[in-house]
Amino acid sequence: MVKIKIDNIEVEVAEGSVLMEVIRDMGIDVPSMCYLKDEEHFTSCMVCVVKERKSGKIMPSCSMEAAEGMDIISSDEDVMEARKSALELLLSEHVGDCEAPCQITCPAHMDIPLMNRLLAEGKFHEALVVVKKDIALPSVLGRICPAPCEGACRRKSIDEPVSICLLKRYAGDHDLEADASWKPEVASDTGKKVSIIGAGPAGLAAAYHLALQGHRCRLIDRNNIAGGSLCKEVSEEELPASVLQQEIDQIAAVGVEFSLGSAVNLAEFKKLQKSSDALVVATGKGESGIAEWGLPMHPKGVEADGNTYRVGETNVFVVGSALKPSKLAIRVLGQGKESAFSVDQFLKEQPVKGEPRLFNSRFGKLVPAEYGEYLKESVEGSRLEPAQKGDGLTAEQVMEEAARCLHCDCRDLKSCRLRLYSDAYAADQKRFKSEERQLCTKQVQHDEMIYEPSKCIKCGICVRLTARHKEDFGFTFIGRGFDVVVGIPFNESTAAGLKKVALKVADACPTGAISRKVENK
Amino acid sequence: MEIEIRDIDGIVQQLGGKRHDVIPVLQAIQEKYNYLPEEALRRVCEISEITPAQIVGVASFYSQFRFTPAGEHIIKVCAGTACHVKGAGLVYDAMKRELELGKDEDTTTSGTYTIEKVNCLGCCTLAPVVQIDEVTYGHVSTSQVGTILSDFESQKGASGKKKFKLADGSEVKGEIRIGLGSCCVASGSDEIRDAVKDTIDRNDLNVKLKHVGCVGMCHQVPLVEIVPANGEPTLYSKVKAADVDQIVQEHFQPEGLLKRLSNKLLNVADTIRDDSRWMGVDRYSLDIREKHVSLFLDKQIPMATEFRGVINPIDIQEYKSRNGFRGLARVLKKMKPAEVIEEITESGIRGRGGGGFPSGTKWKMVADQPGDVKYIICNGDEGDPGAFMDRMLLESYPYRIIEGMVAAGYAVGAPEGIFYIRAEYPLAVTRILQALDICREQGYLGKDIMGSGFDFELTVYQGAGAFVCGEETALMESIEGKRGFPRIRPPYPAVKGLWGAPTLINNTETFAQISYIMKNGAGAFNKVGTESSRGTKVFALAGKVARGGLIEVPMGMTIREVVEEIGGGVAGGREFKAVQIGGPSGGCVPSWKSDTPIDFESLKEVGAMMGSGGLVVLDDADCMVDIARYFLTFTQSESCGKCSFGRIGTKRMLEILEKICTGKGTEKDLENLEDLAHWTKKGSLCSLCGTAPNPILSTLAYFREEYEAHIRGECPAGKCKDLIKYEITDDCIGCTLCAQDCPVDAIAFKPHEKHEVDNELCIQCDGCRQVCPENAVIVR
Repeated sequence: MVKIKIDNIEVEVAEGSVLMEVIRDMGIDVPSMCYLKDEEHFTSCMVCVVKERKSGKIMPSCSMEAAEGMDIISSDEDVMEARKSALELLLSEHVGDCEAPCQITCPAHMDIPLMNRLLAEGKFHEALVVVKKDIALPSVLGRICPAPCEGACRRKSIDEPVSICLLKRYAGDHDLEADASWKPEVASDTGKKVSIIGAGPAGLAAAYHLALQGHRCRLIDRNNIAGGSLCKEVSEEELPASVLQQEIDQIAAVGVEFSLGSAVNLAEFKKLQKSSDALVVATGKGESGIAEWGLPMHPKGVEADGNTYRVGETNVFVVGSALKPSKLAIRVLGQGKESAFSVDQFLKEQPVKGEPRLFNSRFGKLVPAEYGEYLKESVEGSRLEPAQKGDGLTAEQVMEEAARCLHCDCRDLKSCRLRLYSDAYAADQKRFKSEERQLCTKQVQHDEMIYEPSKCIKCGICVRLTARHKEDFGFTFIGRGFDVVVGIPFNESTAAGLKKVALKVADACPTGAISRKVENK
Repeated sequence: MEIEIRDIDGIVQQLGGKRHDVIPVLQAIQEKYNYLPEEALRRVCEISEITPAQIVGVASFYSQFRFTPAGEHIIKVCAGTACHVKGAGLVYDAMKRELELGKDEDTTTSGTYTIEKVNCLGCCTLAPVVQIDEVTYGHVSTSQVGTILSDFESQKGASGKKKFKLADGSEVKGEIRIGLGSCCVASGSDEIRDAVKDTIDRNDLNVKLKHVGCVGMCHQVPLVEIVPANGEPTLYSKVKAADVDQIVQEHFQPEGLLKRLSNKLLNVADTIRDDSRWMGVDRYSLDIREKHVSLFLDKQIPMATEFRGVINPIDIQEYKSRNGFRGLARVLKKMKPAEVIEEITESGIRGRGGGGFPSGTKWKMVADQPGDVKYIICNGDEGDPGAFMDRMLLESYPYRIIEGMVAAGYAVGAPEGIFYIRAEYPLAVTRILQALDICREQGYLGKDIMGSGFDFELTVYQGAGAFVCGEETALMESIEGKRGFPRIRPPYPAVKGLWGAPTLINNTETFAQISYIMKNGAGAFNKVGTESSRGTKVFALAGKVARGGLIEVPMGMTIREVVEEIGGGVAGGREFKAVQIGGPSGGCVPSWKSDTPIDFESLKEVGAMMGSGGLVVLDDADCMVDIARYFLTFTQSESCGKCSFGRIGTKRMLEILEKICTGKGTEKDLENLEDLAHWTKKGSLCSLCGTAPNPILSTLAYFREEYEAHIRGECPAGKCKDLIKYEITDDCIGCTLCAQDCPVDAIAFKPHEKHEVDNELCIQCDGCRQVCPENAVIVR
């Protein structure tokens, strides 16, 4: 046994224990990418560094053994900065998307690639569930949205973007046309009252998502019909009133009450603020009354927190054009959804942070050499258009068009440690960005796993695993220094290279470089 | 060449099929086919314990190995520091143009030539150097690459060297010593040897021809020393084969009258000659008493290089006659292991490999480990560009190093030792192998050494070309047949080293000095040097200095003394700007800090490092940003790729430096560069990348204004290609040489008129400036 100090706490540990395990056993988090329990350490990522108090030396805790008298600081400014720098160096050569560019661009942050995969398989209902997680009015938006997502679609570089907007419209319409449209599950009643002023896209979205959380929502609008700008500014030709009404009905169906035709003056506002547990202001632009409600203003609208939409420390949240005029229905609708997270957190007395958003790795445009690689997971063929302008796509067309998706999103979105730590340490992918980037390639020959070398951080876990399990070929390091790549010897395929432990390797890979094929794609 | 399965099987059978045999097996395959055919590698995996993942991983790690066939002849352009500052990059570019090779090509379509950059050919004083197969060309300029190739073509197949026959010893009238260090060989000492042999034969002289190791005066090579039996020795420098006849006859008269007569008749015009009348201006005899020679030699204290230029490297009798193995006898017969370690501790010697760890402490750590299985390793994987002292020591003093290693084995209780020598040093490998055989025959190795009862065996392991393997943990990984990835320390090799056993690993120079200490006692060593850094240090002095070479100086001597007194100051009337000490781990010490004493601590204080001992002198024509970039290019390409700071940090720093050198850098880049340098230094796993930022940090500290100038788009030294323009002044006489030399027709051919450079076309190859007889081509 040896005695060491971790953050001034004396601990006695077995000789040969590695610092990381000692520190983790004390309940202190130490990030690491290249460490794999029970495998020989490799000391590659340097994300797990800690500091020796006396010398001030930074050392990798995953492979440093505890020695008598050591005095370790598990985390301080230096350590945090070193970890962040290590992550940023890794990010500078990590070429891959976390979330797909379309999803990042979508103001409502909808999981477009997942919707596409489900639609391509003809799972229209499942697709709708995915859409409605972020978009309360898919049929409406499917008709009027200018589709910023399609501008970001990587398929655009190859030929034309995937027709995302019409695909979403189909998911919505398919549900509306069904005998019984989908009723999402509503959480049990929290007893909390939320008033939402303004039944436009922002207010409708906020109400819908809050109601799903079990809060008692009341939508108040001075007009006699709900829809706000959707009724006033869009032609019947573009958006039939019936479609809007059907989707509003669905919002009512999850328990949102509507108080239409009631204008809110200062006194009414004060009363509402008192009687409700939370208040969402979604009055749209040109609502003159708002100036009188005593909310802090800036020239364009109400002043609220950019992430949480909360006004100061009050119970008032402001979204949509009341905040800053916007012509984009999808943007204000997205804000409505996001505010629901803040309000929900507020009502549950959690720290109010808004919708959780994780770090996203991004890279520039695809280059022609990469088109073929991306098409390996997709199909050839140009974008399908509806029979007539303004029409939707047919079911067959939807399945075919959705299959054009390149699936730019990473398979390991939720488990990728590079992403999680980059988020936790607020790493900046651009800090050490270089002018040249590695080309993306995809090795898809294996039935169970896929390997994308440009996402590899050279931690060597796969090399160690395949060697220990005696794969005939396995993975190996090829080359040296910055140019080192992990690959199968003699240019054998991944199918030949991994016959025994493909899934084990996929699960152990700390990033999305090696992942299970079936996982969400 | 067809791959014969039985050839591969034979190689495996001979060298072994264990995992750790992989590097020797790969070396043998490459030796046979001149590259590594995949078929051969697959066969190895079928019949041995070596796996595909291992063989591909290892083969692709070491730069010695090729996966495509190389050309018939290999052109090596030295990219060592000394060559770099003298324009090796331009020579490389010019050679590629001459061979019509594209950016990513290295072998001509005809398969005749393969061109490669090598880190150091160890002929820094002949910089820039190009080697084609075994022929070395020194002082090469860009405009000469064509000449070199045609010269090589004309020499091909014309070799057929005769074996030298020694004159009868009893009747020797004297001795002719020819340097056989790498510098000498590279500069043509083989030819000289043949010429001497020829002269002796023709004249029937009873003169002993003797090969000696490196004399250290590499700036004067090839050297021939004439030592008459009676009389003063004379040292001739920069000798050419054609001069040998006269030199020899100057000192030795042929035996018979008839012979003498016939000679006189044959050489009637040459009868009376003195130095001044010889045709070459760069040839003259040196008298050891001459001032500049004594300056070069007098301040030095040879310990590791004791008897340099005097003893034949491989002649064990001579070594013994000069007290060789006396130290070992003392150790084995009169001292207990603990006493040996005590003596080492008392001598104060610190590791000569760069880090300066006290050797006594290290030895004691190994000795204190339990068990009988321990190893001694001599680290001869010297790879610094511009450092070749290990090579010189291995080539010139093999017995001295062996002696040190045997003593170490005895002191720490290790029965086995390994010489780790890079395969790029074939002469060193051969010499050591020969010396080991002789030592075994004579009872200095093997069982019961010198009747002491102590058994010790030594083998040679050839490194396959990876600078990082100079790092001790990487070196051991490599012996174990793995990629040369360093491991975290602790555990230190002294506790858990090769094959998990306690291992004493010391640098070549350290072992050479251990021999000195064992022979002369700790006192003889520790009276030299400074309080914290005892003894001497061998340096490769090169660059813009008048007298370069290998020097061994007492620790504590100032940089100024080395540069000005030993080196004779900066050559060519330029201004002394800085010295780069310690190679890629070291730093640039500016001239105004040249009173810094050379010892471990003082160098660290000024941002440099002892490193392995490269000492390159820079003048005002050297761009410090370019120097930083040069070293980063080296460390980046030699980084093993294991840890994130080393792998990516060095790459990003290099990218920024390249941006700055091409005038595209910004203030923000400078900030990022400093930031990266800081974290790469702090966060890297081993000292290769941990010290890689030193050249940047030291130049930033002392020459920041040069970085800033580059950001403004100027290179004050006129070195960075993208920031300079060539112009022709009114001194032009219209000789057209520049126009003829220009590879891209950027200078129009206008006889008798002033020429002009079209800077749109100019590729800054510097050829015009070098050929201009009037110095009318200038850089702006």
